[in-house]
Amino acid sequence: MRIIRIVVILIAVACVPILSHAAEGMVTSSTQALWYNDFQSQDTDQNDIAQYLKLDVKKLDKEGKINLHGYGRVIKQTSTSVESRPEIAEDTYGRMYYFYLDYRDAIKDHLNFRAGRTYVNAAAVSGTIDGLYLNCRNLGPVGVTLFGGRNVLFDNKTEVGTGGDAIIGMSVYLDTVKNTHIEASYGRKYSDSDLARENVGLDFSSTPLEKVNLYGRMQYDTIGDTIEELLFGAKVAPVEKLILRGEYFQSHPTFDKYSFYSYFDVNDYDEVSITAEYQLTSKYRVSGKYAREDFGDDATANLYGIGFLARPIKDLTLNASYENRNGYTGKLNGFRVNGVYTISKAAISAGVDYDDFHRESSRDGTAKKYWAGVNYALNDTFSAVARVEEDINYNFDHAYQGFAALNITY
Amino acid sequence: MSNNRALKIILMSSAFLLVAACLSFAKTSHKEYRDASPEDCRECHTGSGVPENHGAFFIDTHRVLAEKAPGNCADCHPQSFCLDCHNGGGVTPDQRKSLSRRGEYMPKTHRSDFISIHPVKAADNPRHCYRCHEVTFCSDCHSRQIRQDRNSMDIKPHGPTFVSPGVPNPAWVSDHSASARRSLQSCQGCHPQKADCTNFACHPNLQGR
Repeated sequence: MRIIRIVVILIAVACVPILSHAAEGMVTSSTQALWYNDFQSQDTDQNDIAQYLKLDVKKLDKEGKINLHGYGRVIKQTSTSVESRPEIAEDTYGRMYYFYLDYRDAIKDHLNFRAGRTYVNAAAVSGTIDGLYLNCRNLGPVGVTLFGGRNVLFDNKTEVGTGGDAIIGMSVYLDTVKNTHIEASYGRKYSDSDLARENVGLDFSSTPLEKVNLYGRMQYDTIGDTIEELLFGAKVAPVEKLILRGEYFQSHPTFDKYSFYSYFDVNDYDEVSITAEYQLTSKYRVSGKYAREDFGDDATANLYGIGFLARPIKDLTLNASYENRNGYTGKLNGFRVNGVYTISKAAISAGVDYDDFHRESSRDGTAKKYWAGVNYALNDTFSAVARVEEDINYNFDHAYQGFAALNITY
Repeated sequence: MSNNRALKIILMSSAFLLVAACLSFAKTSHKEYRDASPEDCRECHTGSGVPENHGAFFIDTHRVLAEKAPGNCADCHPQSFCLDCHNGGGVTPDQRKSLSRRGEYMPKTHRSDFISIHPVKAADNPRHCYRCHEVTFCSDCHSRQIRQDRNSMDIKPHGPTFVSPGVPNPAWVSDHSASARRSLQSCQGCHPQKADCTNFACHPNLQGR
């Protein structure tokens, strides 16, 4: 029934521009064939057919304040797979990512709202809801957001959760001070009608001096009476084309209120990181990162990374990066190289991933991935995309996966 | 008690907001720049005193910006732009994205063979995983693997050892508790049930479910 409901909604959504003469609508459709490898299935070669549909209808009213947005998909799994959970053991799955009415200036200069299935986010809580999001602007120097509704939980291909899963939240924000944003937020999550999480979030960012940006974030778990997440950072551009960033991040593992895991003692995770990126010329950029990770009880790790972005000629973009991690839970040493070249209406891309890893509590190995893809735009309405990939790793000596898609936008 | 504390934090935060509200300045809307190239952004931001943010590490840092009200990202990006990474969507299929074992598009951060390297990568900020995945995402795969072929998971044996019946080995107790304190969230992947911890009478009166 859920699949039928989603299909009907998608078709109805696609018809809205026809029924509403004043509106401007855009529909994006993508029909796809996917093939991939599931190492846990009896037959590792898996195949799906997917239909995506996205709709944006603008100017439903004369003033152009009311818009409608919808996005969903239906997937038919054409191969056989054995799932551990009966609720996802079907071979046809539907998912509605969002479907909401967006009303700007419902009260001029003071109220915007979204109603329906929509994504909401705040420092305290975030997620997809079937509900309402209100943004009350210009209330003196501050604005207030309020949101609430059924919490939509996406999982492997389908939705999980019950009618008792919910999110409510609010935030008070100030961004009328030049280049400064201050925000306090509060949110709750319910699972099966039981309170699972209650958080308070504080956000701050400011650019007090030219080229110096300071920011911070705190998320406080009121149930566990602990600071769940703490972040302080500074971004500095000491000379033109050079951006330096330093961050301190701390997190404390937390669990739903009813979980027995919430009764155990845990260590904080601390991370200090610095990054630098330099735009050598308009065509070349280099970047580097170092992070020191501390898991408590003398367990640490060091992470190093460098990256290079090049656009040597107008239609060619190349990316290369190297990462080295050594410490608690294991070692990783690997690189990624990829590029995209545009020829008239086509874009051809290809790449290689290589990782040499050592899992502290288990095994060593290497993982290689080679891939190539092409995107061809026949005209403004029709385009096609295809990708093929070869994987050589612990689970597969040589495995192939990819997709082919026909996109229509009208 | 915790509610009182939350109330205090909210009141203090609100008071701070009002005190800080001393200047009035129109925030820049970026809607008219939504089709601009990153180079165009750089030209403007270079002279504005506000460093551009869509740089080399934006995948790592965008979360803090995206979670701020009133949602500046929407000036340029539809919600599908977020969900196609966070929830496996693919209405505009990206050649650079690989597929998961369930056929979902994976974010580009999931490099090489992510199934093999995820125990290492998940440790780099353990909260990263839970920004997109529910706990069931871990336990679904791990529990099935345990049922099918526990040995192929290649995880170091970590079940309790005993010096005599009912008396756990002190070395195991020490190692077990240190590991659990460091990465308790990862334990949920294979041990979602309370019985997993009460079986051996180690935590007999555990609360919760």
